[in-house]
Amino acid sequence: MNDRIIFEDVSKFYGEILGVNRVNLSIPPGVTSLVGPNGSGKTTLMNLMTGLVRPSRGRIQVLGYTTDDPENLFRVVGYCTQFDAFPKGLTGFQFIYSYLCLSGMPLADAERTARQAIERVNMVEAASRKVAGYSKGMRQRIRLAQALAHNPKVIVLDEPLNGLDPLARAEMIALFRTSAAQGSYVIISSHILHEVDAISDQVILLSNGYVVAEGQIQSVRKEIQEHPTQILIRCDRPRELAAKLFEAESTIEASIHKDGQGLLLKTRDADRFYLAMNQLALNGIHIESIAPADDDVLSVYEYLIGNEEVIR
Amino acid sequence: MTRLWWAQIKAVVRLELKKTFVAKRGLWIYAVAALPVLLFIAYAVAMSNEQHKTVKLARDSQKPLSYQDLLAIKSGMARNEVLAILGKPPVNFHWSGRRPTGPGADEEVFREDYQYSDGQNDLYISLADGKVESAHIREGYNLGQDAFMFAGVFQFFFLRLAVFFGCLGIFMNLFRGEVLDKSLHFYFLAPIRREVLMAGKFLAGLLATCTIFVTSEVLQTLAFLWHFNPHMRDVYLFHNHGLEHAAIYVGVTMLACLGYGAFFLGAGMLFRNPIIPTAAVLFWEWFNPFLPALLKQFSVIYYLKSLCPVEIPLPPGMPGLFALLFSNADPISAPLAILGIIVVAGIVLAVSGAQVRRMEINYTSE
Repeated sequence: MNDRIIFEDVSKFYGEILGVNRVNLSIPPGVTSLVGPNGSGKTTLMNLMTGLVRPSRGRIQVLGYTTDDPENLFRVVGYCTQFDAFPKGLTGFQFIYSYLCLSGMPLADAERTARQAIERVNMVEAASRKVAGYSKGMRQRIRLAQALAHNPKVIVLDEPLNGLDPLARAEMIALFRTSAAQGSYVIISSHILHEVDAISDQVILLSNGYVVAEGQIQSVRKEIQEHPTQILIRCDRPRELAAKLFEAESTIEASIHKDGQGLLLKTRDADRFYLAMNQLALNGIHIESIAPADDDVLSVYEYLIGNEEVIR
Repeated sequence: MTRLWWAQIKAVVRLELKKTFVAKRGLWIYAVAALPVLLFIAYAVAMSNEQHKTVKLARDSQKPLSYQDLLAIKSGMARNEVLAILGKPPVNFHWSGRRPTGPGADEEVFREDYQYSDGQNDLYISLADGKVESAHIREGYNLGQDAFMFAGVFQFFFLRLAVFFGCLGIFMNLFRGEVLDKSLHFYFLAPIRREVLMAGKFLAGLLATCTIFVTSEVLQTLAFLWHFNPHMRDVYLFHNHGLEHAAIYVGVTMLACLGYGAFFLGAGMLFRNPIIPTAAVLFWEWFNPFLPALLKQFSVIYYLKSLCPVEIPLPPGMPGLFALLFSNADPISAPLAILGIIVVAGIVLAVSGAQVRRMEINYTSE
């Protein structure tokens, strides 16, 4: 499978401390978010994917390349780490340019490519200044520029939006989405769940070094049987609708929305519920919308991991 | 592929040289390299002053003197005999003192000191009541002695301490320093083979140490030659193997950088604390003469000593055990010595190459 990022029974121990354990993944193109509390293994997973650490057990392949083959691996992978240190004495431009020269790129091409990468992250004016004098946000952007400079197919981003202002966050998210739309593999770790929700095609939920769920968020939600699915129905006569819906066996709980214009339902079988809705004679009740209320990352995260250390 | 690797090595060298030459943590290396230069400059200044005095003394003499004239003065000679051979002294002092003649008795004595020179050597004569009491010749500059001194400084300070610790400071930091600065991931995230990266870093370290220490060695030679007059300099350089020796010293310096550089590059990857490997290698190198023949071959100094052009004579009265430090009991031929260093460095670099492939970025454990 040369079109996937594959983890086969991968474990990583730092001495006696568990990094990740028995991870099996097959990551397709698109935006994949790694979600989990601090110490859950997100960064370890990214470092394993990029060969910065070696698995204690198991095998990793990135688009067919092994992670102990940096010469080929990093032609298709760009990694924006959380390490906030840079080679001493370099300007922003030199940082990107040197990186491209290390790949063996001819000097003229490296210079042109470095300038393009700097433009992509809006750092043109600061490019000739020493990185040591940059603000946190500028350092983050120059790291992103480095990760993206050689147009990699796989972009690994460890907390990429940290330190960025709202405008820059929006620009970066758009950049990631564009890359994903063009067939790239964008792997992001983030604490900020509403951003994860907005940009992810699939998520990998981690807790204490274990992958607790992976896939498209709706699919993951369906797998969580112990928590009934919540559905929000916006309508003009919620009380009447609630009474009718209780006639169908699939509804187990209903509450009137606080604005009086909707109904929040809980069901253990969403498919049966939707089928029942179609069969109900609604007696002129005007239904504006029906939408799942808890198939987002935040809800899934809370159900599977709890609500520790998460920014909504 | 080779062309790509070469381009990558050049990129690493460019980055590393910039860092190595201007690194604040490496400033002491310049000081260590400059120390023997300053020593020879100080020596040259002192010798020039002495020579200047000697020449003035000869010029002020009543007649031109030869070395044989100076040797002709013996204890017991009368003042008139001295003046007949050497003429009126250009420098003389006289004073009255007392000399013991028996228990509780003494007598007054008229003392004189004369100084003469033939332009290179000085003669100091002490007279008491008109008789020569002692005559002492202080030899002027002596190329042979100075060459031994240069060889001693080269072998015992420059090679074993300056180059050794300079290589420690530069090569140990090539990987270790980056781990401490938490910036090694910059290289590890680039599409470059780890072995190629290591080769680039090693080459950069070698260029930096060779530049610093070969410059130091050349400056030491210039400072060493400074106080010789042009004729002596020509004789030393072109008729007394001086130029050949200077070239050999430069070559030995470069080989020392290669050998110690390989050791410390490897040590920087294998050990977190540089003190342990440094102490071990330093001990191994200094006590190399006492090691069995087979083990000797796994040290750098064993080969370097065999290449040094001047054998340092044993200081008189030195115990036999310490004499081993000076003499090279079983020297090997120059080609074998050069090959030996290259092989030892190659073995260490091969081990380091295997190590760098396994290296992980785990700054939190540092």
